[in-house]
Amino acid sequence: MHYVIVGGSASGINAIEAIRSLDKEGKISLISDEEFSLYSRCLITYFLAGKLTEDKLKYRSSDFYEKQKVEALHGIKAKKVLPEKRKLLLDNGRELAYDRLLIATGASPKMVEVPGSDKEGILGLRTYQDAQLINERLDKVNTVSILGGGLIGLRAAYSLHARNKQVKVIVKSNQVLSQMLDSGAANFIRRKIEQKGIQVMTGLAAVEFLGGKEVSGLVLDDGRKLECELVIVGKGVRPNLELVKGTEIKTDYGIIVDDYLQTNFPNIYAAGDVAQGKDLISGQSTINALWPCAVAQGRVAGLNMAGKKLKYDGSMAMNSVEFFGLPVISMGITRPKDKEYEQLVREDEKNFVYKKVVLRKNRVQGMILVNKIEQAGVMGILMRKKVDVSSIKEMLLEDKFDFAKILPIIKEGKELFTEREFEESTISY
Amino acid sequence: MEKIFCDIRKCLGCKSCEIACGVEHSTSKNIFKSIREEKKPRQRVIVRSTTKEPFPLRCHHCEEAPCIEACMSGAMYKDEKGVTRHDPDKCVGCWMCIMVCPFGAISRQESLALKCDLCPDREDSFACVEACPTKALFAGTWDEFKKRLGQEKR
Amino acid sequence: MKKQDKSIDKASQELLEIAEREGIDTAWERYEAMVPQCGFGELGLCCRNCLLGPCRIDPFEEGPQKGVCGATPEIIAARNLTRMIAAGASAHSDHGRDVAHTLLLAAQGKTEGYGIKDEDKLLSLANELGIKTNRRDKKEIAKEVAEKVFSEFGQQHGELQFSHRAPEKRQALWRKLGIMPRGIDREIVEVMHRTSIGVDNDPENLITHGMKTALGDGWGGSMIATELSDVLFGTPRPIRAKVNLGVLKEDEVNLVVHGHEPTLSDVIVTASQDKELIELAKKNGAKGINLAGICCTANEILMRHGIPIAGNFLQQELAITTGAVDLMLVDVQCVMPGLSSVARCFHTKIVSTSPKAKFPGAEHVEFNEEEALPIAKKIVRMAVENFKNRMKEKVNIPKVKMDLVAGFTAESVFKFLGGRYRATYRPLNDAIINGRLRGAAAIVGCNNPKIKQDWGHVEMAKELIKNDVLVVVTGCSAIANAKAGLLKPEAAFQYAGKGLQEICQAVGVPPVLHVGSCVDNSRILITLCNVVNEGGLGEDISELPVAGAAPEWMSEKAVAIAFYVVASGVFTVLGNPFPILGSREVTELLTRRLTEVVGANFAFESDPIKAAQLMIDHINKKREALKLKPVMYEKEEVLVK
Repeated sequence: MHYVIVGGSASGINAIEAIRSLDKEGKISLISDEEFSLYSRCLITYFLAGKLTEDKLKYRSSDFYEKQKVEALHGIKAKKVLPEKRKLLLDNGRELAYDRLLIATGASPKMVEVPGSDKEGILGLRTYQDAQLINERLDKVNTVSILGGGLIGLRAAYSLHARNKQVKVIVKSNQVLSQMLDSGAANFIRRKIEQKGIQVMTGLAAVEFLGGKEVSGLVLDDGRKLECELVIVGKGVRPNLELVKGTEIKTDYGIIVDDYLQTNFPNIYAAGDVAQGKDLISGQSTINALWPCAVAQGRVAGLNMAGKKLKYDGSMAMNSVEFFGLPVISMGITRPKDKEYEQLVREDEKNFVYKKVVLRKNRVQGMILVNKIEQAGVMGILMRKKVDVSSIKEMLLEDKFDFAKILPIIKEGKELFTEREFEESTISY
Repeated sequence: MEKIFCDIRKCLGCKSCEIACGVEHSTSKNIFKSIREEKKPRQRVIVRSTTKEPFPLRCHHCEEAPCIEACMSGAMYKDEKGVTRHDPDKCVGCWMCIMVCPFGAISRQESLALKCDLCPDREDSFACVEACPTKALFAGTWDEFKKRLGQEKR
Repeated sequence: MKKQDKSIDKASQELLEIAEREGIDTAWERYEAMVPQCGFGELGLCCRNCLLGPCRIDPFEEGPQKGVCGATPEIIAARNLTRMIAAGASAHSDHGRDVAHTLLLAAQGKTEGYGIKDEDKLLSLANELGIKTNRRDKKEIAKEVAEKVFSEFGQQHGELQFSHRAPEKRQALWRKLGIMPRGIDREIVEVMHRTSIGVDNDPENLITHGMKTALGDGWGGSMIATELSDVLFGTPRPIRAKVNLGVLKEDEVNLVVHGHEPTLSDVIVTASQDKELIELAKKNGAKGINLAGICCTANEILMRHGIPIAGNFLQQELAITTGAVDLMLVDVQCVMPGLSSVARCFHTKIVSTSPKAKFPGAEHVEFNEEEALPIAKKIVRMAVENFKNRMKEKVNIPKVKMDLVAGFTAESVFKFLGGRYRATYRPLNDAIINGRLRGAAAIVGCNNPKIKQDWGHVEMAKELIKNDVLVVVTGCSAIANAKAGLLKPEAAFQYAGKGLQEICQAVGVPPVLHVGSCVDNSRILITLCNVVNEGGLGEDISELPVAGAAPEWMSEKAVAIAFYVVASGVFTVLGNPFPILGSREVTELLTRRLTEVVGANFAFESDPIKAAQLMIDHINKKREALKLKPVMYEKEEVLVK
């Protein structure tokens, strides 16, 4: 059996471990277009901020491939899948045959297409190489403009602020973190980062970049000009689909996968930011381009490739981030548009505490926690298991809410809470 | 694997486990000195309560630990005994683990996650279990715990 | 715990092995089972004074920092500690009250068991108390003394009579601070009031009243107990005796008295010498009746009659484990309820006697002073009759015993220093002034399985005498040091520094002086007053080169003692800290700031050698302040330190 995995990040690494847990002998090949391997992308902004050294970026020890008996091909790009021939075309001209293929090519930053966007100093931030490119420029940079107020945008702003740069964040919508938070919670984050000296400008977009060969400023859609020697584009990501372009592999926004993370070709799987599958909460087909989802999908895909028939429950939108000591966690639907949703909110401006739970038919559909985040996972399990929370609704936003309060729910819902740890904690209850 | 279980019916909420845990995770390992240490030792078990009775909240060292799956820095890991461990050197304080822990058993200590580590400085005992005056806390395997509960019901 | 870690006492170790073999639980096993003990309790951070609680404060500052009423760790710790003082003071004072009661009955002729043995002391007390003595019958005087003393307990205003024995400067300080005790009981009642919900919530104010209450013990209840005991049973004089479980006899009826008050034990001495009972013992196959004691009731009859001591606090269960105790008579204080379960393994009868103190599994023979002798005889008879039930195969008396000299008092001992015929403190003061003696220290208090039995007392005493510090001991500390041989005059040659050795040799006293039971700590107070009055060492107790210690303390009585000692101006080191460390403020007050208030403070140090060093450092500082000559035989190592 020859397993081939394209992409060496969260999904790829976890797929390798999953395959090896079942198949000790099969051949595993990994293809990655990156030279720097086995690192965690999520740590890139910490690295850029100077809070982490290069070695700390590693997600697994450097002997990982050796221990897992993997043939790792780094710096090589897989150009195309030939599903009928069960082959992969590599950019070095080689063809690689496979029995099972995992496409875990991830995604790339969306760049902006306005006049001057080809100038030097306008960069995305996703890979180790991106961070190195930014690092190389930083000496001659005083002011940075960040385009986009999403997670990457704000994390980039945070890192460069830590490197003593003047940072302005230009956000098209009228709040930061609009994918993750409602405006209430977003305001807390905005207040915190502005307090620390990062300027946030909402409802604006860049329409032109100024400068010669290198960027020296930009023009906003209200006509204002901003000086900056570096632009970081954090306007979301786009799945890397080049590999499957022009093949019979079904795609939509990403590669379509079923509950087993299989594509329409039974021996081809996809996982991570490139895979479009079921959302646990809405039931719709979507991509939740998140580290924990990529890990889980890689694991499930790997196990299935090695012969298991394991169902993936679906991904859930969720994220956790901290800015200047202010942590925030969100999950599921945070800005319901429908009247069927019930929203519970608690706000304590003085202490930067914001809590919100979104319910539909007494089931938790989403939540946001700012500052007091410790019980996020308990709400998460209620969401995942889709249990009726009417008995504890009053408590959900209170500080006293915790796992102990959901013991009766677990006891009643044994068929849902099947993990052994739940039985362990309720057996004597 | 050997870990900590709780017979909830026996817990009186005395919080002795909290104290013992705090002392165990201090530098001096001495109660009188520990409370004066510059960096306050932090307990990893917290006695909370259901609507009526006390309940010691702690890490369950899940077989398939969500915190490990979610950890983006590789700080959370399983050791060879199956203990869910946390490497503070690798932790960046992203709180992904908190986001997914169904027990809410992970807390924050400045920019590091903090959870039960099953007393790595001890040979074959756990500070909280030893401190529990009613023996509500139990050290052993799941089968042993079930067996004990069974025996006591009789 | 290995037996070597439980006790340094060979007899204890031997019996602990037997206890282990026989599956007999002692305080050590129960302590081990209790470990780890409640951290909130250890730190003084739990409060059960009202039903808003129970409340407890998280010492790691994660959980609640205030009780339901809003009490801070400071308030909770101070309240709890002050209540401990009240409990300790009430124990000593109730003891004093009982002795006064006995004196009254004796004066009224209502009891045969007691008389007035020290008439001189009665007269001098009467003078001190403003009672006419001229041409009056001693019984009349005694009656009035008893009544006057009774009134000190319930006195509502004014000052306790014996507090006037303190140096003028000390009295003035007490008045200035408002801690001159008014009445013994009154201060204790006030503690209970102040520490109840919503009354005194100022830690320093609470501790200040605690000191006042403690002074009412030291200069009131305890001092009354000592003085009136001397009147009734005689003021002790140096006396030779033996100590440790080896004093029990295989071929005699062994009757062990255990507890604290001398009223019963003293008549038991008489009863045990009753010819008829000795005959009965012989008829029962015993060669005689052997009386021995445990804890302070033992010290009382040791000091006055030379009755051997079987052991100290932690040996009460071990005494029974010898299988040779036919009857253990108990009265009040420090009597473990665990005794009877040990006794069940043997033939030993436990007999409780005080209406205040009944025990599970004990036979109760109620004592009253009016019928003291008949009751005492009845109990001795019970012991004699139980001899035949002794299970020979279970008898294990360790062959461990030690000689000692006891019976020192404020009146007897220090005057000896000047020779038998020159009754003065001058030589003692001079010895300190010229540096032959570095100073003096008192080691007192209990045993506690938290510290290896006797180790704290003995190591500390050795370290102190090595450094030419004269040591006085009371209570279980006295017994510990006696067992270690430090109460023998010869011990001076083996352990004492050169200066102290010279003095011991000249006077013929041991380097460690047994001054009595724990209420007899009042003898130490009087001694200190006498030293100040003799002159040349300052005007107040707090100026003296002296220190106190309770290396193995456990009882609330020790808390009261520690507080009256510190409030009287003596630096005091405790082996176990008070349960207050959860409060920074109270810790700071007791271990530092109190010096500015009463001229002395506490230190907590569990290592007896380090504790002794703290005491020596303190003594050196006091010597320096008094501009005394350097210590005559100062050792280099000490200087370096």
